Amino acid sequence: MSDMDRNRVPEAGPLRSFEFPDIDRRRLENGLEVRVARTARLPIVSASLFVRAGESSLKHEKAGLSVLSGDALEGGSRRRSGTELAESLEGIGARLDVSTGWEGTSVSVSCLAERLAEAMAILAETLLEPEFPEGEVVRARSQALASIRQRSMDPASLASDAAVRRYFSAGVPFARPLEGTQETVEPLGRNHVRGYAEAFYRPVEGGLVVVGDVHTDEIEALVASCFQGWEGEPPVQGDFGVEPRTRERTLLVVDRPGSVQSEVRVGHVGPERSHPDVFPLTVLNTLLGGAFTSRLNLNLRERHGFTYGVRSRFALRRRPGFFQVGTAVGTEVTAPAVKEILGELEGLVEGGPTEAEVEAARDYIAGVFPLRLETAGQVASRIAELLIYGLPDDYHATYRDRIRAVTVEDAAEAGGRHIRPSEAQVVVVGDAQAIRVPLEALGVGPVEVIPA
Amino acid sequence: MSDLSIPFERHRLGNGLRIILSHDSSVPVVAVNLWYGVGSRNEPQGRTGFAHLFEHMMFQGSAHVPKNRHFELVERAGGTLNATTWFDRTNYFESLPSNQLELALWLESDRMGWMLPAMDQEKLDNQRDVVKNEKRQRYDNQPYGDWDERLQALVFPEAHPYHHTVIGSMEDLDAATLDDVEAFFRTYYVPNNAVLTVAGDFERSRTLDAIDAYFGEIPAGRPIPPVPGDPTLPPRIGETVRDRVVADVPLPRVILASRIPPYSSPEFAVAEVARGVLGTGRASRLYRRLVRERKVAKDVVSYAFPLLTGASMLLVWATGYEDTRAEDLERAVALELEGLSDAEDAEIARAIAVTETDLVRSLERVGERADLLSMFELYFDDPGRLNRELDRLRAVTSGDVRRFAAERLGPDNRAVLTYVPEAQR
Repeated sequence: MSDMDRNRVPEAGPLRSFEFPDIDRRRLENGLEVRVARTARLPIVSASLFVRAGESSLKHEKAGLSVLSGDALEGGSRRRSGTELAESLEGIGARLDVSTGWEGTSVSVSCLAERLAEAMAILAETLLEPEFPEGEVVRARSQALASIRQRSMDPASLASDAAVRRYFSAGVPFARPLEGTQETVEPLGRNHVRGYAEAFYRPVEGGLVVVGDVHTDEIEALVASCFQGWEGEPPVQGDFGVEPRTRERTLLVVDRPGSVQSEVRVGHVGPERSHPDVFPLTVLNTLLGGAFTSRLNLNLRERHGFTYGVRSRFALRRRPGFFQVGTAVGTEVTAPAVKEILGELEGLVEGGPTEAEVEAARDYIAGVFPLRLETAGQVASRIAELLIYGLPDDYHATYRDRIRAVTVEDAAEAGGRHIRPSEAQVVVVGDAQAIRVPLEALGVGPVEVIPA
Repeated sequence: MSDLSIPFERHRLGNGLRIILSHDSSVPVVAVNLWYGVGSRNEPQGRTGFAHLFEHMMFQGSAHVPKNRHFELVERAGGTLNATTWFDRTNYFESLPSNQLELALWLESDRMGWMLPAMDQEKLDNQRDVVKNEKRQRYDNQPYGDWDERLQALVFPEAHPYHHTVIGSMEDLDAATLDDVEAFFRTYYVPNNAVLTVAGDFERSRTLDAIDAYFGEIPAGRPIPPVPGDPTLPPRIGETVRDRVVADVPLPRVILASRIPPYSSPEFAVAEVARGVLGTGRASRLYRRLVRERKVAKDVVSYAFPLLTGASMLLVWATGYEDTRAEDLERAVALELEGLSDAEDAEIARAIAVTETDLVRSLERVGERADLLSMFELYFDDPGRLNRELDRLRAVTSGDVRRFAAERLGPDNRAVLTYVPEAQR
């Protein structure tokens, strides 16, 4: 180290290669896809069972039913009460988590490897034999309604919910909050939940991912015994059209008097998960608002001090999702912040990214790849994505190569197609009395003010 | 039951910097983690929030690193980075591909040794604005956002360093000057007040040489001054103290807190287990009774804060439904706190089993390993405690928990903070 010079950035050593863990595939007779990957840093296992029971397949008047059914699963099985199930599970140190999204429902357990057989049996009992006792369904519904009430007074949730209503045309599922609304959740009861689970919690189109200190043959035998007799397929879920509510740029103020900050969202409808532009867009979004040193954050936070942080993202789903910039800014700088955001979007689309920015973004995305695959749970989530979104088996193995292949032209062209500042919907949740006039003066488009 | 054997070795540089190395090459990533023995407890009167504001200034460059370069270099290298400030400490950390280790050592050493030449008024004013927006976003613009300010004021007397919050007050943030930055840096950001941990995939002798080269020439500082104010306080609050807030909140919420022995006390393990019996998992008492059976709470959260200075705090936070009366919610929580005096072996075993899995799972990440090793070294001079954490908990008996409940969780040692929605008033 005698040649150390503080003025020089240290040179990187030779890169040690990292490969995404090998995935073993099996398919059970009932149609359930099984994926196993071995990671053996610590004696821990993560198992996740996915079924095609998501909110996007529900008609508007049943919005929230998938989420409610998933939440009510912990209410007990035909054999045991919810508390008894929890005692068995926690007695072996395991945790069970149910998460419901637009595409489906995932029931996951995480436990020490030596406890996997017991944990898997409880997972299967929870999903395959739910009892949904009346009292537990009523409780899950009360909790859901209370959460909806909390969202209605939380500025960040208010902004996100108002934004998707502006992006998507009214009939698109993504225009509503994932967990439904008070009107749609209130009428849901035990019969709805039971009927939903009976129809949708089916092995076909589903998958089980097990990652950790495990062997595939043992997993296959365990799974075959735990899921014996489980059969069938969920109802056919047709594609739905995704249309924007408008192509005219508009500005909505959701009035929350007394707010000391404004929650800002700027966005519009975006591409679907399987779109070929996703790789260049990942690079472009990183340099726009996906990292600390992105254009938006350096401008709004480090140059102007308007905010604690600002991010942009593409919400990628099986059907077209959205592009969005999100931040919270001081009340008095709300209009200047909106102006800067729109200016950055226009600047990026018109001028394109620089070679240096694209290179830095590619390096960042490829470099952090192994950091996001340290744990069994992280690897399991990535493998589950393949099943959920229908991605090819080598998706993760080739991911970094595809990122590294993105050129500055690719990124610029994809940006031109998928970032459209002239169609952006601007949503601001804040104190209308303080922010309305300066926002109108920006002249970005028609301004509407509604109460929170 | 698993026995932890996370490897580590300890070193110390001539300037007092403590070094921990923990090797694991299963994924080619490495974590660099620094804990400084300074937090909000060290803030003088009139400068609340300064330790955290200072943490932001640490990212504004140093003598050999221009503004924004720190973030740019780490992100370009495929790394992630951040820092956090808490009552007793401030930590800084990077995780990177293992071939980029030296970059992080260079950056961390440059700001430990040569931060001041890069400071100026414009950077301070900019980060003051950023931090004020952080405070607005996380506290002032949120329902219940002032809960910690109110609760700390109830549990800790005015002269105690935990009486004020980590985020501090707007007035004190406004008052901070460049002179404060310099004084704070010279007093607390010295190698003899820090622990550096490197965990993950690295080559031992090269790493030790690099640490010596980058950090060895930083001069030691003076001994760290005692914490301002009066950290001594009675073990119990002495009564039930209350703060009732009628506010624009969606649902009623009560927070009950008790003063408990500090993290350094052997009795803290009992507090952790008692907390687990109350609130870890869906078989825990609070979830089962309040959420599932009586349905007075929508959700319940509990913590035993690992605080060092004089005392710590165990708290339970229960959110009711729209029509729940806050008094009923408070009574229900109090009943469970006091009811721990009949804690049984089976529920203690469950709480420890879940804690064990959670700990093992957290150790899958080298960043988390490094963070825990730094903490145990800085707080207890004993990084090996990581591998004995579970033994410490397993030694707790139902008798210990019962005694703890009787001595610490009664109405003579309770702060009650209640939020009532305006609609209910």
